[in-house]
Amino acid sequence: MQVSKPDPVDVVVVGVGASGGTAAKVLSEAGLKVVGLERGPFMNHREQFSGDELKYLNRGYIAPNHDLNPRTYRNSADEEAELYPFSPCPQLVGGGTIHWAGWFPRPLPCDFQMRSLHGDVEGASLADWPIGYDDLEPYFTKVEWEFGCSGLEGANKFEAPRSQGFPTPPLAPTAFAVRFYDACARMGLNAFPLPMALVTEPHKGRDTHNHTGFWNQYGDPTTMKSTTLTSFVPEALATGNFELRPDCYVREVTLGPDGKANGVIYVDGDGNEVHQEAGVVILCQGAIETARLLLLSQSDRFPEGLANSSGLVGRNATFHEFVFSVGLFDKETEPLYGYSGAFVSGATFEFYETDESRGHIGGGVVAASQTAQPINWMLPGRPAWGSALKDADRDYFNHAMVLGLCLQDLPQHDNRVDLDPTVRDAWGLPVARITHKPHANDLAMSRWQVEKNAEILREAGATATLPVNLERCTGNTCHQHGTARMGTDPSQSVVDAWCAAHDVDNLYVLDGSVFPTSTGVNPTLTIMANAWRCSEHIADVHARGGDQTLAATGGSNHGL
Amino acid sequence: MACRSHWEVVPEARLDLDSDEPTFFDRHEWETIEAATARIIPTDHDPGAREAKVVRFIDRYLSSVDHVYASADGAGFLRLDGIMADAWAGHLDRMRQVYRDGVRTLDELAGDHHGQPFAALSDEQQDAVLERLSGADRPVPITSALAGGHAYGASLQSDLGLDFFPALCLHTRQGFYGDPVYGGNHEQVGWQVIGFPGPPSLAATQTCTYSVYHLLVADRDWADLVPHVREQALAKDPA
Repeated sequence: MQVSKPDPVDVVVVGVGASGGTAAKVLSEAGLKVVGLERGPFMNHREQFSGDELKYLNRGYIAPNHDLNPRTYRNSADEEAELYPFSPCPQLVGGGTIHWAGWFPRPLPCDFQMRSLHGDVEGASLADWPIGYDDLEPYFTKVEWEFGCSGLEGANKFEAPRSQGFPTPPLAPTAFAVRFYDACARMGLNAFPLPMALVTEPHKGRDTHNHTGFWNQYGDPTTMKSTTLTSFVPEALATGNFELRPDCYVREVTLGPDGKANGVIYVDGDGNEVHQEAGVVILCQGAIETARLLLLSQSDRFPEGLANSSGLVGRNATFHEFVFSVGLFDKETEPLYGYSGAFVSGATFEFYETDESRGHIGGGVVAASQTAQPINWMLPGRPAWGSALKDADRDYFNHAMVLGLCLQDLPQHDNRVDLDPTVRDAWGLPVARITHKPHANDLAMSRWQVEKNAEILREAGATATLPVNLERCTGNTCHQHGTARMGTDPSQSVVDAWCAAHDVDNLYVLDGSVFPTSTGVNPTLTIMANAWRCSEHIADVHARGGDQTLAATGGSNHGL
Repeated sequence: MACRSHWEVVPEARLDLDSDEPTFFDRHEWETIEAATARIIPTDHDPGAREAKVVRFIDRYLSSVDHVYASADGAGFLRLDGIMADAWAGHLDRMRQVYRDGVRTLDELAGDHHGQPFAALSDEQQDAVLERLSGADRPVPITSALAGGHAYGASLQSDLGLDFFPALCLHTRQGFYGDPVYGGNHEQVGWQVIGFPGPPSLAATQTCTYSVYHLLVADRDWADLVPHVREQALAKDPA
């Protein structure tokens, strides 16, 4: 097949979601010529999104298609992997910011120092980040204000210092959140309105009127939800320096004779093969597909996959399983309207930092959320059929709430993404195989927190609670981290503190792959802040003619 | 090839969505599936799957790739194209076979144990067949089944790889509670049974004229809900 070769550009960004959209904005605004390649479509949010539960949650309108983009999963290396739609993060321009609810909390300083704080934990591969909270703080602020969010300054008593408040105030609480706030107050727990990637008041010309409750997992037809599709991507396009190419499937990062990355090969929507050359290659596909692309990019120099001299590409994968308790309330009491609001409403950091008396290290954000819409509303153990099913839906649909945790799973060397030896996708390429077995600490954290959540729900008035514990990781949050960890030692990490590959200095990874540990919060704010930080660095390097010699930042951590 | 962002919308009028005529099932299959869905979400003092026309929803789903995705405003359906259309066609082929075989299995179990086709049995007999088919007793009320933990899988509930009975249960839920544009939830009876306000149309969720904002709690201020906010304010200004 004829491979076409368009004009080389300064930067090619692979994957235009949270991190790719951020990189595209920062670099194109700095004057670099950027091409963004996205394997999914470029949708028009106003024309193509709406509140259709069946379409989004059951028929996977924006999810990877099972037949075209399969994945396989297994619990451990001695098992045969099975087809399983693990961590089905949407594939379209905007990526995970399209379907997310928009939980937008900052991490805590402790998140960057898990190794220093806890030392060797058997079976785990804890590592400190080479950067700290203070390195990211200015970028948290930039992202919060440029991307748009809501929150209440000073409400989370555990939050680290912030240089600015929030651009818009929180959405009014839901009825279920009020139950949560009042229960926490009685228990002496600090609950607060979780920062959310949505705007409640006019900000940068945005809408504020999507109150349909069709929020988590749905595309938003307004611009109330913060997505890169409706913010950073149009801002990048407006510079005239960014060219977005949707429906383009990248299958290889190419290496020049000098050992530097010199571009990518992709297949466009019409099946044509294209070699896009670029001075800098940035991978932003999420920790599963980025690792897969590196492993697919084999050469004489890198027979085990690009930038993989450490052997760590794909390893130390973490996925933040969402575990929770559902509280059932008496049907004679005031309804909780579990389909109202913007999915999550009310959170606490009380169980975030390590308290070894709990029997585990680490923790994370706990939040009260919707049970969501009628077909798929979250009722674990729901009777499968008959009058028991009908009664369960009828009695509890308006009288239930969820209190959940993004489970901070510990990194482990053997939890990994690699290439499946037999299953191929619609482009004929080996698919990502996920191997993930929970660490004993993950299981202990799940048991303790799910029971604690049940206790809070009982205080809130629940007459029964349904626990959902971690048994095996299903990838139900679409949070993906760790497969190209960041560090200073090339034998112990894949990228450096600027997220440039140790082995290939003009190849960057700016998505969650670089997280050495998974943190206790939803990763997107941190991913975007880090992508912004590193993109500024890339622009700096470019301005100095490609000289990469810049000292890594220190690891300054507030309060540690 | 048109990618997902450029799929044509086939207007509703051309799809004859109000029709109750089977487009995939034959008459016997239609009656059998209708009877089975009516045991999965039975009619009592409230409407059940039969009144919601769940069988019409399933029939339409199985008929072709032209009923997979409604357009955002519900004025029609998206015409899938290219490899996505092929993928869905393959999936629906497998699902059609699951239903064809499933109806035969229901009739065999009904014939073996009750001497008549499934659709001709009493409610009790049909439940007994479903118990055999599912390999488990009919479910007990959720409040009697609270012990122990629960597995909860993926965030997306697809019918990929499901056998007949779990597929039938999932599709019955979908047809009872999904947007009426897909042929079930007739006159929104499913939503009324459980007290979901539900939008008058998909278009109302696109324009956001449908809103549940009034269900938020506007009369509690943050200093009342979050004592820490009040304490900080007091610390700053003790007066």
